[in-house]
Amino acid sequence: MTNATVFPGMGPCEFTDVAKFMLVNRDARDLLATASDALDYDLFARYRDSDDDYSEYAQVAFLVNCVALARWAERVLDLRPSLVAGPSFGGKAAAVYSGALDFAEAVRMTARLSRIETEYFAAEQPGVVTMSFVRTPPDRLREILGELDEAGEWYEISCYVDTDFWMVTLHEGRTDWLAQRLRAGGGLPLYVMDPPLHAAAFQPLRDRVEAELFASLHFTDPQIPVVADQDGTVRDTADGVRAMLLDGIVTPVRWPEVVGTFQRLGVETVHVCGSDRLWGRVGATVRNFHTTIVDPRRAMSPIRRTVAA
Amino acid sequence: MWDQRFETILRQHLPFLDPEEPLLGGTSLRDSGLDSLAMVELLAMLESEYNVRFVDEAMSMETFATPETLWSAINDMLGASV
Repeated sequence: MTNATVFPGMGPCEFTDVAKFMLVNRDARDLLATASDALDYDLFARYRDSDDDYSEYAQVAFLVNCVALARWAERVLDLRPSLVAGPSFGGKAAAVYSGALDFAEAVRMTARLSRIETEYFAAEQPGVVTMSFVRTPPDRLREILGELDEAGEWYEISCYVDTDFWMVTLHEGRTDWLAQRLRAGGGLPLYVMDPPLHAAAFQPLRDRVEAELFASLHFTDPQIPVVADQDGTVRDTADGVRAMLLDGIVTPVRWPEVVGTFQRLGVETVHVCGSDRLWGRVGATVRNFHTTIVDPRRAMSPIRRTVAA
Repeated sequence: MWDQRFETILRQHLPFLDPEEPLLGGTSLRDSGLDSLAMVELLAMLESEYNVRFVDEAMSMETFATPETLWSAINDMLGASV
């Protein structure tokens, strides 16, 4: 049976929900130590003391936990995927777990990228956010976006999550209007993310990240093929995985394309490794695959073993 | 007070509420485990069960604060449809 490992995009994650896992689990502890060495600070302490859901420390901790959970699943549950994918932030863990990027390098990349993004959006594109929402069919979305077009407002679709689930990047001042228009049609606005994600308008950020950060990163061909979140193509070269991470800054996530590739390649089971509230539960995933969630709660639960009679 | 169908459906979406624990009018649904995607599933089930459609103000997070606020929103919609 073919299975794939998916590393989730990042969402708000309570420190208390993952702290014990980070301290007690062997795989997490090892990676946490490596990450702290790579960053030259105590990641656990900085994460504990941070009150921002998307701080540099929260981002690196999320990466640590995703990779640790996949390694735990491999060691304890013998889960060995044929493919990996990582929508949005999950692409970093996918790059590491596939073998395309060294873990310590990925840790430094994540921290540095967080700092560059914070600087960039504060200085170059302030007031731009990404809103996620659900229960909005494509026709209804087209109507609403048409109204933005008529008003001469800029926006971009940043994430195609499912047939009725989207993320749109736009100016902060338009979010109340968008939420109201969505609710009028039965849509449910979920989160407003700041900094924003995945828009062609962020090309200057992509250029800066490539010049200042990626020039010094060393990618290798992955041992496990990676399915790119922006188009569902299979990346089996160092350049392919590198481009996937860089292009993610300026191109939308198209999760249904990843799902389509999994189906074509015979994937039946998807293991979502990380603290996830979205990707392992959204209809596009659970309608099409047997889906298991490998999260800190599961890794900290006793393993039930069947004893042969 | 709500009917049994409502309580049965709601409890299915509250993983942190013990089956023996009473569901009170002021119980926090979020603290009982109702996250965003659970809310989407719950909405679909309630719309199907009560033949209503949540739109406009009914789609606000306040509607999903407690069993009481949610049941009140359904009652408003049922009243409006009579």
